[in-house]
Amino acid sequence: MKNKLIKIPLFIAACVFFISACSKDPISDLSTEESLVYYTNRDKAANFQQYKTFSVSDSILVVQNNRSGYALTNFDRDLLSGLIDNMKELGYTYVGPNDKPDIGLTASYISNTYLNVASIPISSYWGGYPGYGGYGYGYPSYYQYYQTQESYWLVSMLDFKNADTTNKKFPVVWNAQIKGRDIENPQLVDTMVNSLFTQSPYLKLQ
Amino acid sequence: MKNIKLKIWLLAMVLFAGFSKHAWAQQQPKLYTLPSPYERYTYYLATARFGGSMPLGKFSEQYIDKSSFRDISVSLEWVLPNRFSIGGEIGSNYYEKRLPRALYEFGDQTVSAIQTRTLSQVPIQVFANYHLAPKNARIQPYFQVSGGISLVDYSLYYGSLVDQYQKIKPTYGVGVGSKFLFKPDGALGADIRIKYSGTSIKYDYLDGNTATIGASVGLFYRWW
Repeated sequence: MKNKLIKIPLFIAACVFFISACSKDPISDLSTEESLVYYTNRDKAANFQQYKTFSVSDSILVVQNNRSGYALTNFDRDLLSGLIDNMKELGYTYVGPNDKPDIGLTASYISNTYLNVASIPISSYWGGYPGYGGYGYGYPSYYQYYQTQESYWLVSMLDFKNADTTNKKFPVVWNAQIKGRDIENPQLVDTMVNSLFTQSPYLKLQ
Repeated sequence: MKNIKLKIWLLAMVLFAGFSKHAWAQQQPKLYTLPSPYERYTYYLATARFGGSMPLGKFSEQYIDKSSFRDISVSLEWVLPNRFSIGGEIGSNYYEKRLPRALYEFGDQTVSAIQTRTLSQVPIQVFANYHLAPKNARIQPYFQVSGGISLVDYSLYYGSLVDQYQKIKPTYGVGVGSKFLFKPDGALGADIRIKYSGTSIKYDYLDGNTATIGASVGLFYRWW
């Protein structure tokens, strides 16, 4: 009887595991472009009509975990050019960094690696059954480490015109992130940059 | 004369044999009129079902309005001597819908993405059936009520990024169906069922009862 009581939840767990394992990946058919997600944030207190001129950083800030540095690859050049072209189309005037621009645009590539731990194969689903304290599953519960990496592009718009002189900071009035698969694909750079501005119509100067 | 005697003797033998056979048959139990073991005893019945289902109510209006044809389940029931049977069923159902690229507002944030909405459930339920016909009837309609838990996986993809929610939630169902025996007193048959199911899920686009109605066809095997 005791054996049966143990076998029943084990049988159910095996069925659940089998059924779950059969599920397909619902986004396997997405193209690279379709996988991209564009995030834009704005400071709702900022009046973008007050800005007339802008400048763009001359290279890309690359941040990897706690390290950072600058890079300027062909892709990076295309991305910075895309920022300039879009800002011009919105009505802003491009000036050099020493010509006191009202706003400045910076682009960064962020890549963070995380080490995660998981107990396999017991997930949150079947962490235990009430009334069966002390029973195991017949195999040892062990842990598996796995590594995940998150990479994305970050574009920030800094307000040079209204700098916080007390704290020596430039307010960020707009920023954007690009996440998804293959975000370093040179064929997608124009699509990615244009999308950021298309979904931010409030940036357009009247 | 000898021939006539032989004929009389043979006729007597044939008549005696006829009477004896008749008398023997009357004395033996009528095996062919005994109730089937399925009618006399409790027995087990295992069913495998495949089918489709359709989201209803707010689940359909707010999250996924597309029918799914990926429902599967297996059940084991104990058929009692009366019209009832009780048992357990474990299944799986999956709903998915892809939306074209659109803008989504989250406070001050705007997100542009292709949404892939999914909901999968693994319901584990106990059920009770009430049958409207005897156990050896070729057609056996039944009513069903069920209740249990469901392993819920709500995965909402924005492009390739996912917002995932996994919980165990209470679930219930009511259904009508019918069993069809392939031959009288046989062990094999078919099963059709229409069932309404509801699971209590409150997360993101889902705000309460996730209701579906499904139809399934299945095969069963019974033994005692």
